[in-house]
Amino acid sequence: MSSQLELGIGVHIFGVRHLSPGGSKHLLDDLNRIKPKIILIEGPSDASSEIRHITQRQTKPPIAILAFTEELPVRTALWPLASYSPEYQAMKWAADHKAQSVFIDLPSSVMIALQDMRKHEQQQRAESSPTPDPEQFTPQAEVLHEAVHESLYDQIAQLSGEDDYDMYWERNYEHNLNEHAYRQAILQFSEQMRELTEAEEQHSSASEHAYNAIRESYMRRQIKQTIESGYQPEDILVVCGAYHAAALSHVSDIMTDQELQSLPSSSTKLTLMPYSYYKLSSMSGYGAGNHAPHYYEMMWQQMNREALDELPHLYLSSVARLLRKAGTHRSTAEVIEAVRMAQSLSALHGGSIPVLRDLQDAAQTLLGHGDLLVIAESLAQINVGTTIGQLAEGVSQTPIQDDLNRLLQQLKLTKYKTTIAQDLMLDLRENRRVQSKESAFLDLHRSFLFHRLRLLNIHFVQQQQTQQDQATWAERWIIQWSPEVEIQVVESTLLGETVEIAAAYVLQQKLDHCLTIAEASDLILIACESGMVTQLENGRQTLQRLAVDNQDVIQITLAARSLSKIIQYGDLRRIDTMPLIPLLEQLFTRASLFLVTSCQCNDEVAHEMMKSISELHTIGLDHIEQLDYQLWLEQLTEVMERDDLNAKLSGFACSLLIERNQVSATQLAAEVSRRLSPGVPADLGAGWFEGLSSRNRYMLLSRTSLWEQLHQYIESLEDDDFVRALVFLRRAFSTFSPSEKNMIAELLGELWGVNTEQAAEILTEELKEEEAKMIDDLNDFDFEDF
Amino acid sequence: MSTPESLQDTMRQSAELLYAHELEALRQHDSGKIPAGWQMSPQSVLTFITGGQAGKVPITPKYIGNRRLVEMAIATLVTDRALLLIGEPGTAKSWLSENLAAAIYGHSNLVVQGTAGTSEEHVRYSWNYAMLLANGPTPEALVQSPIMRAMELGGIARFEEISRCASEVQDALISILSEKTIAVPELGKEMNARKGFSIIATANTRDRGVNEMSAALKRRFNIIVLPAPSSLENEMDIVRKRVGEIAFAYDLQAAVPADEALLKVVTIFRELRSGMTLDRKDKLKSPAGVISTAEAISLLTNSMALAASFGNGELTDEDLAAGLQGAIVKDDDKDRIVWKEYLDNVMKKRGEQWRGLYQACKEMNE
Repeated sequence: MSSQLELGIGVHIFGVRHLSPGGSKHLLDDLNRIKPKIILIEGPSDASSEIRHITQRQTKPPIAILAFTEELPVRTALWPLASYSPEYQAMKWAADHKAQSVFIDLPSSVMIALQDMRKHEQQQRAESSPTPDPEQFTPQAEVLHEAVHESLYDQIAQLSGEDDYDMYWERNYEHNLNEHAYRQAILQFSEQMRELTEAEEQHSSASEHAYNAIRESYMRRQIKQTIESGYQPEDILVVCGAYHAAALSHVSDIMTDQELQSLPSSSTKLTLMPYSYYKLSSMSGYGAGNHAPHYYEMMWQQMNREALDELPHLYLSSVARLLRKAGTHRSTAEVIEAVRMAQSLSALHGGSIPVLRDLQDAAQTLLGHGDLLVIAESLAQINVGTTIGQLAEGVSQTPIQDDLNRLLQQLKLTKYKTTIAQDLMLDLRENRRVQSKESAFLDLHRSFLFHRLRLLNIHFVQQQQTQQDQATWAERWIIQWSPEVEIQVVESTLLGETVEIAAAYVLQQKLDHCLTIAEASDLILIACESGMVTQLENGRQTLQRLAVDNQDVIQITLAARSLSKIIQYGDLRRIDTMPLIPLLEQLFTRASLFLVTSCQCNDEVAHEMMKSISELHTIGLDHIEQLDYQLWLEQLTEVMERDDLNAKLSGFACSLLIERNQVSATQLAAEVSRRLSPGVPADLGAGWFEGLSSRNRYMLLSRTSLWEQLHQYIESLEDDDFVRALVFLRRAFSTFSPSEKNMIAELLGELWGVNTEQAAEILTEELKEEEAKMIDDLNDFDFEDF
Repeated sequence: MSTPESLQDTMRQSAELLYAHELEALRQHDSGKIPAGWQMSPQSVLTFITGGQAGKVPITPKYIGNRRLVEMAIATLVTDRALLLIGEPGTAKSWLSENLAAAIYGHSNLVVQGTAGTSEEHVRYSWNYAMLLANGPTPEALVQSPIMRAMELGGIARFEEISRCASEVQDALISILSEKTIAVPELGKEMNARKGFSIIATANTRDRGVNEMSAALKRRFNIIVLPAPSSLENEMDIVRKRVGEIAFAYDLQAAVPADEALLKVVTIFRELRSGMTLDRKDKLKSPAGVISTAEAISLLTNSMALAASFGNGELTDEDLAAGLQGAIVKDDDKDRIVWKEYLDNVMKKRGEQWRGLYQACKEMNE
């Protein structure tokens, strides 16, 4: 079989599964035997220049080649490489043996353009008329086609008595260490697989078929060119996916210059980026057996040590070690039994070495005592691992990385780019002791950068609470660099070329999708914190649009509060907040207008409303020059005067108005006597008093007439009503401090003609037993008829 | 051993007799390596349990559903570890253990049936006191427990419902499992297990009157948790197969229920068990008791018996409703409400096909 293939044009072809330790092992054996002068690898041909970076000593896989389009929307293509990737090992071998290695697949620009076309085509089909042309493929057919593929793989697994295809693959290919056997078996397998699916694919999934045909024809062209450039065919070795292996062994149907010209292309950029095993497992670029990257790395290392048969021991004792670390003790005897069980499971399938599934099942039975939950976390750690790749300094250069590095330098932050967490206090105020404007606002610009990074979800900085909560000029950050941050930065390149553009893009996206005014005002705050003026304006418009439809005073208050904060402290951040003022005006007016209706609520909502009213009142006072404060007072007066609103809120409005000196003594007397007149239900009267007393107590305490009226009201109550009123009054007074209670006692003492000191003593001393019992009885008070 | 004639009227045949021809065929066509003390190779045991072919003899599947669990159970016994099958009531623990013992050892009758009254003597050995008093401790006066017999014969002993025994009794197994010997100090000797000896124990997780197993004992078992059947089709297969077998064994003069009835019963059971409808759209209340596949089976056979004895042999909605009522409403008041809610909120809206059953159930529940 293999000799036949080489006869084609004499080129050595090695079909692999991407990310396969077994494939790497056999490939290395073959390379050492054949000693080719040039290795051609399936991968974007415009990335060939990156190979020297990939093979550098400082480069530690997993890494990935990332291609992305320059224009928006950004589309990407990703080629991840792990240490056990045959492609990576081939490049390493070439570098170590002074051989050439190049990528020969379509350039990323063409590949992305072709993928675009396919996606576009599918969408069009999906949108086209309900009776699709039977001649052409339909999305349904596509789905069906995939299902056919799926079931084919499942059938193979079933025929060989395995539970799933991964088990089949690992047992038959990864563990197969016989020389040549791997290569032949995989070639035969993929050829037959292809025969089975090709005809059907041509029909049902034409675009998939065409895509593969174009790629293969291009790769053949590259092989031919390599031969023409002076390499002997037998000095050439091609590493490609097993599926393509058969197609690359013949010389017919080579892409012509003209065809190459006519391929679509969108302009792309390429970069290397560090990658993580977690990402490798969660988004498999090839869908090929990389759900357990760390496990495969262990396998690769064991293979190199020629001790693959000890992999179960290593794997299961690692699981047990992690379990013990987490506090679940498992004995060595159990690990031994688990290894034996894994081996006997493997023997049931005629395998010599347990596969991952065997190991996991043995671990569940013996180390988890039948329970997967116990070992799930340890398994995830061993299977997936936390390894993150590394690139040499300066290799991965996306525009945004350049920009970030430049910013870090400019803002004197380079020394924080370490893996050790460091604290940084920022003082946003102008530093008047320095000469240049730049350094005067150094900390402010740092803050802008940090807030932008936070917006981009780059976990380089974390904001901490400052000790002085009120100090708006101070910010405390913890700064820590990690490989993950590097990955996050590289990924942000898809959002924009610089940190500022990317952050603006993200914020704009959020603004476009935001639905509530509280959310919008939060975004405005973020825009302000990160110094993004355009988004501040866009946010303002969004908020305005949302506010028009909103009648919820509580929500409006939340938005108004954050706006008020921005307007008050905006100049600290050197941001012109003038445009926000009309919006605040609008919100405040809206809140004023809806105040009366909102006060028609139950006691539960009243609690929230009270907070909002208080908040709005403060905002009104803070911006008294800009806002329609008069309207607010009018509305408050209406709330105070109307009897059909929530009594507590009416009381509260009254206390605010007293505070602003809007209520004369006679007015207050009238109000109190009306609210507390005999016949008013106890819950209304006492509830009103609760609202009244929940703000400025001293103001109440200074008005003796008020207490007199309260006294008369209570006198007038029937016994039953008295008990009810007591419940409310007790609640109202519970928040009073002892000294305030003393003062009330004195007041009442005077009213009742009792010695003030005696009264105070009685009020503050410990409860007597029978009194305590009486209060207990009150607790049992039946509220049902309220 | 009894003669085949007298077997005709035993209520329930053991697995090795019920499937004797299958076991025989498997033994004849076995090409795998046979572990010491086993009757056939592990692969053949797997075929016996999960179904397949032995030469020309078709092997019926005994345990439907998760083939991997069966593999794990066999792999455990190959490494001469003891096996503990854990699961909710009615997840075919005993059924699997019986069939495993039948295939591996050829006999499934060395059983300790665990109860709160099981004592250590049932696990180790006891004495024939008449002989003990007459002659003192002699080998003849020794009464071996099934476990001790299994050790002597190199076979498989089954320990049913191990978690119902008192903890002290359970712990008698610890040294047996680790040393593979039982010391008989009265005779001054010990019984060493022959190759092939193992124990298959079963335990309930969710039931009243269950004792927690000690960590030391758990450590000596390979523990496999048997789940409730994963899919509707799977559960229907199980119910269909067992109902057919039981109907044949008991000679019920009623037609095996049509797939429609099976589907209805299994659907109701699965929905009540999982607490939501099959399409995952509605949340339901589950009854207090366990509603297992085994109960679905006995429900259907009961209904068949009703139909055969008091009806025309055809399973009617009324027969089914009576069975459902009994299986679901165990704790009178609460379960009755759960069942009523299910009837009105789910079954009533299921359309024409369910109408008859709905009416019957509703009448029954009132």
